[in-house]
Amino acid sequence: MTELKYVGRRSRPEDGLEKVTGKARYVGDYYLPGMLYARVLRSPLPHARIVKLDAGPALQVPGVLAVITAADFVNHSNLGWPLKDAYALAWQKVRHVGDPVAAVAAESEKSARAGLQAILVEYEALPVVGDIHHALDPDAPIIPDTKEPGTGNLTNTHLVRFGDPDPILENSEVVLEETYFFKHQEHAYLETEGALAIPEPDGGLTVYANDQSPFINRDNLVMLLGLPTEKVRVIQAYVGGSFGGKDDIGYQTSAQAGALALKAGRPVRLVLTRTESFLASYRREAMEVKIKLGASKDGELTAARVNLLADSGGYASMTPLSSWRASVHAAGAYRYRAVHVDTKSVYTNNGYSGAMRGFGNTQGIGGIEQAVDELAFRLNMDPLDFRLKNCLTTGDIAMTGNPVNQSVHLAECLRLVRQRSDWDRKRAQYASGQKGRMRRGIGVACYFHGSSLGGEGADYATTTLKIEEDDSITLTSGLTDYGQGSRTVFMLIAAEELGVDVERIRIMRPDTQTGIESGPTVASRSTMIGGNATRVAAQRLNQVLYWAAARTLKCQPNQITRHGELFYAPDEESLTFTEVTSLARQMGLSLYVQGKWQMPIFTWDFERGTGVPYHCYTFGAQVAEVEVNLESGTTKVLGVWAAHDGGRIVFPGGAFGQMYGGVAMGIGYALTEHISYHEGYPQALNLHDYHIPRATDIPPIDGNFIQYDYEDGPFGALNLAEPMMISTAPAIANAVFQATGKRWRTFPLTAQVILSGRDDPARDTAAACRKGLGLLA
Amino acid sequence: MKIKFTLNGRPTQVDAPPSMSLLTLLREQLGLTGTKCGCDTGDCGVCSVLFDGELAYSCLLAVSGLEGHEVTTIEGIAGPDGSLSDLQESFLHNGAVQCGYCIPSMILAGEALLRRVPDPSRDEIRAAISHVLCRCTGYQQIIDSVQEAARRKRKDMESAL
Repeated sequence: MTELKYVGRRSRPEDGLEKVTGKARYVGDYYLPGMLYARVLRSPLPHARIVKLDAGPALQVPGVLAVITAADFVNHSNLGWPLKDAYALAWQKVRHVGDPVAAVAAESEKSARAGLQAILVEYEALPVVGDIHHALDPDAPIIPDTKEPGTGNLTNTHLVRFGDPDPILENSEVVLEETYFFKHQEHAYLETEGALAIPEPDGGLTVYANDQSPFINRDNLVMLLGLPTEKVRVIQAYVGGSFGGKDDIGYQTSAQAGALALKAGRPVRLVLTRTESFLASYRREAMEVKIKLGASKDGELTAARVNLLADSGGYASMTPLSSWRASVHAAGAYRYRAVHVDTKSVYTNNGYSGAMRGFGNTQGIGGIEQAVDELAFRLNMDPLDFRLKNCLTTGDIAMTGNPVNQSVHLAECLRLVRQRSDWDRKRAQYASGQKGRMRRGIGVACYFHGSSLGGEGADYATTTLKIEEDDSITLTSGLTDYGQGSRTVFMLIAAEELGVDVERIRIMRPDTQTGIESGPTVASRSTMIGGNATRVAAQRLNQVLYWAAARTLKCQPNQITRHGELFYAPDEESLTFTEVTSLARQMGLSLYVQGKWQMPIFTWDFERGTGVPYHCYTFGAQVAEVEVNLESGTTKVLGVWAAHDGGRIVFPGGAFGQMYGGVAMGIGYALTEHISYHEGYPQALNLHDYHIPRATDIPPIDGNFIQYDYEDGPFGALNLAEPMMISTAPAIANAVFQATGKRWRTFPLTAQVILSGRDDPARDTAAACRKGLGLLA
Repeated sequence: MKIKFTLNGRPTQVDAPPSMSLLTLLREQLGLTGTKCGCDTGDCGVCSVLFDGELAYSCLLAVSGLEGHEVTTIEGIAGPDGSLSDLQESFLHNGAVQCGYCIPSMILAGEALLRRVPDPSRDEIRAAISHVLCRCTGYQQIIDSVQEAARRKRKDMESAL
């Protein structure tokens, strides 16, 4: 790889100074003159018909200036994508505990709360769907309003059809058939959801939100409030973490604050409490993964058949798409002769599910990586050798039947974590007769992860660059940064391509009035799609500058060479950057450009379950070493070794942060984090009962990037962020198996699960769940 | 009630309800929004301040207990001329900052530790910052940053001798 000046070098985060000094302003940090505080009335029931709703009395409460219900929006506040099945405020029914019913804006939080208490609401409780296995029963209560597009409580289906696995499985020498269960995981970003809505004199609205995708937020506000597009402006404030979690809930929250602000004629700020955040926002879907997997006795995988059943909860949100990503990854990064996947998502009254880091592949890889380990054990093969024998390499056909058209370095990742973790020695040591209550084990898992949106939709972004009068350069992107570091990535790519000092570049806050719509900021797509758009914009700006320079230097633009900010003619005469921009202005040239980049087109046939799901993939492997206390049931992770094959790294500090943060989230998923539902009632509502890892829960992490330039990426970059969390939990489960000789086939492996000795505690009762949490405390 | 205390090195007088939390006082009455709210129940630690030099959750401290005490928030960490502290510098250089929401508290946790222990081990740093939750970083580069700041601080002290 060629050495570059900025890309790949250690650098400060673009917005770091504001963050280390406490000056960065998040939504809750805005206090405007005349600002009102909003609070939301939420359903205490998991499933009920709203028999009576009279919000009027709230206005009699001193300090209350506005109150709203679904009736205050266009079309009863109906919103949602890809299925339009949700509401900014519930209409006629509530479908989960915490579903918003009405909202109040008042002079103080206290008055707003008193206002909520004055609202008259009567519910008629409906039977609850609490178990995904009974959601499609003929007598199950129906949750959605309409029967379209599924029937009854069916949210969506997906399928993958590559060959016919059944005859191959029948003839395979070893066949494994197991079921794995994954519970709900909460994003638990440290900043809760919120929005600040400011009514404008022209009847429009400006909203500061901690959303992921301001343009989608704007379009929802336009639709729900009946305003023209140009009268709604959404600005993304600093966002205190998101991990996929501030999309739909962000739009709902913004709509509530927006409607209140228009009604009251004053700015309205709505920031959810932590408990509200647990109740009202979506989370990673619970999922059941059934796998039938065949191999020859010399350890060659033959075919797989996978059935997925996802818990969408009360609304669809992103489950129709995340369950697709789960489907097209569910047999893992291996060579097969045939694979079938059949997926169903169902409505229940268990909160509601949506996007979260990994987006279905957390469960996809989470299931298959345990299954593959079990198969290797039955074959008496080292699980790492088994993976090396079967893993995808360059030119192979993926489990969806499409060739992988890129160079694949998964085997290199596996060999690297083997060496760095001292795998062979530890594996042998822990296999031989451990005694006493403390038992150690070491496990591995590997992954592939389709880059960007794939078959989900058009995949593009636009960056703008403008040279200001003082020769600073402002950059806008329609993609946003909620902590992942994309602002810094864009800044480094722009400086590299333009050949200017990085200090010249300033990035505007994401703003629908200055940036250009670029699709959602999801799917770990910013570096590749937004990075390429930035590079295109910089190339176009350079064309203008080279043209201006060429005219003065009396040569052709393509004869100019660069040394830093200097522009050289063939005769060695040179111009500074400032001289060139000044010449360009004199010539009347525009120093504002847009650069758009779109992923090459490919197609996935959702009806037939065939085609190309993604243009490209990232790959990786992780090893985890654990110590299990058989008396207390607690598991401690002693170390994690990670290797990721995601192209050239642009911003190393940010990239390692994503890797370590992903591993930490995976450790939480494996050992402590879950929200169980009992008849629709969530069993964790705060960060006391829901345990995200503390610093003392995270071991040293050995992080490695296998860097090869990826030809379609900006300066060879591919992507990261999501994939680096998905193999941590199965690697831990596989390590726990070596330590204890037992498989539970569920996450998290809490002390309660380890002590229960049962194989399938997936359907915990609430009491057992509480007991489990008690044991951990 | 009227209370006198020292805030970021300056004598400060406030008039606030005795049961108001220090967090609310700082954010809503004094305009110091660098101290964040993550749960308001003492579970997450992103509202941390230094209370007489020790790390404390401002959501659990009441105005009534402030009289005569010394409170430092993130706004009191950089020099009066805006120069960054060693910890702030090393957080920026070591990839420790992602969404930034916990960062003021993490820097204060590091500060409280380095005042007591100039040469902390990684496990000591881990224990010291475990009072503050972070969802983005996996803590590793925060630990690197505290360690680097300690090294820099010791170097400065040695060269001053």
